[in-house]
Amino acid sequence: MVMTTETAHRLHQKFPKKHNHYALRDFFQFNGDYGTITDWNDTRNVLTSEDFIIGLLEGLQEEVGDASSAIMYTIGLEWGKIDSLQFEAWFEREFAMSPRRANLMFLLETWWWPYISQGWGRWEVDMSDRKQGFMFINLFDSAVARTLGDVGKPVCHLYAGLFAGFFTEMVRKQLSCIEIQCYSMGETYCKFLLGGRERIDAAAFWMNEGANARDIEKRLRAGEGGQ
Amino acid sequence: MLTDVESLIQATDGRYASDQELMFFQAYLTTVGTRLRAYQKIQAAEPQIIAQVMARLKAQKPDIFQIGGQDLAAKWQRDTVRVLRYSAIALLLDDPERFQENLLSWFQTIMRAFGAQESCGLTYEAMQTVITQFLNTEELKLFLPILELSRVTLGQ
Repeated sequence: MVMTTETAHRLHQKFPKKHNHYALRDFFQFNGDYGTITDWNDTRNVLTSEDFIIGLLEGLQEEVGDASSAIMYTIGLEWGKIDSLQFEAWFEREFAMSPRRANLMFLLETWWWPYISQGWGRWEVDMSDRKQGFMFINLFDSAVARTLGDVGKPVCHLYAGLFAGFFTEMVRKQLSCIEIQCYSMGETYCKFLLGGRERIDAAAFWMNEGANARDIEKRLRAGEGGQ
Repeated sequence: MLTDVESLIQATDGRYASDQELMFFQAYLTTVGTRLRAYQKIQAAEPQIIAQVMARLKAQKPDIFQIGGQDLAAKWQRDTVRVLRYSAIALLLDDPERFQENLLSWFQTIMRAFGAQESCGLTYEAMQTVITQFLNTEELKLFLPILELSRVTLGQ
């Protein structure tokens, strides 16, 4: 989306080096005359309701049945890949530093902050198993799960795809992601496992067999599930 | 204050506010002079406050700014100045909620990313001691809770 001078983020132009710009009034610019919303990174935003999320998921379910979760994952995956490129550009602009040289946790928090402002929820990244080739992401207040409520199964496939796409581009290695615990299963928060495809397939198999997030963590830490 | 005004506007849409709902105005008006004086004192004393906090931290933990073979004193100073300035405006406007939303929520995640919680905890604890030399009792009563908010939020 090309920004015109009228809709470019004025506060950002005034304070290009301001890093704490995630409060509602700072992050979003409401262009009343144009009927548009621009965010700090000059991306156009659209406000949607919970009805929109329900409509999207149910419509997809009706069209393609159980394949809808795979489609949501794929949408997320492509989104994450594209977003990683946009992120690299704005990170470099804002911090005058290549993302490759930045502290990893700082980089990840910086990537996720726009999503927090946009209402996608807060997260917590658990990198303690990174050397073993997998990691966990806890997500609080998933927009999808919060909307659907307790439906007894994981529903945040869009997020799983988003994480897989973003991290695949960032580490330049093919990664997959699966949600192993979801607010929509009656849990208090969502939990994602990110890693190589073999491991994620193993986790999916264990889940089908009835394993919960704790069982999966235990089995992975015991070295099961391949590389 | 500004957060309270916004809440008031939303809550009283199309009607007059009750006396109870207007109480925060009274409370603010009785303290606004103190807030303004304290704000100006902090502004004037910023370099001394920062230098004294730094000296205390170094005395307490000589290697506090040495992380991964790097001296992070200059970075600490930039961060601490920013928190102090936002704290001062939170004091002036009596708006800790806005302070939390505009700076602390974001800064907490960044400090955690760098594992700097301990240093933050010590910094805003030391600042609460140092600031007593610059503000009087009445001013401290208004400002110390804001520094404590930074200590608690950034220190964990």
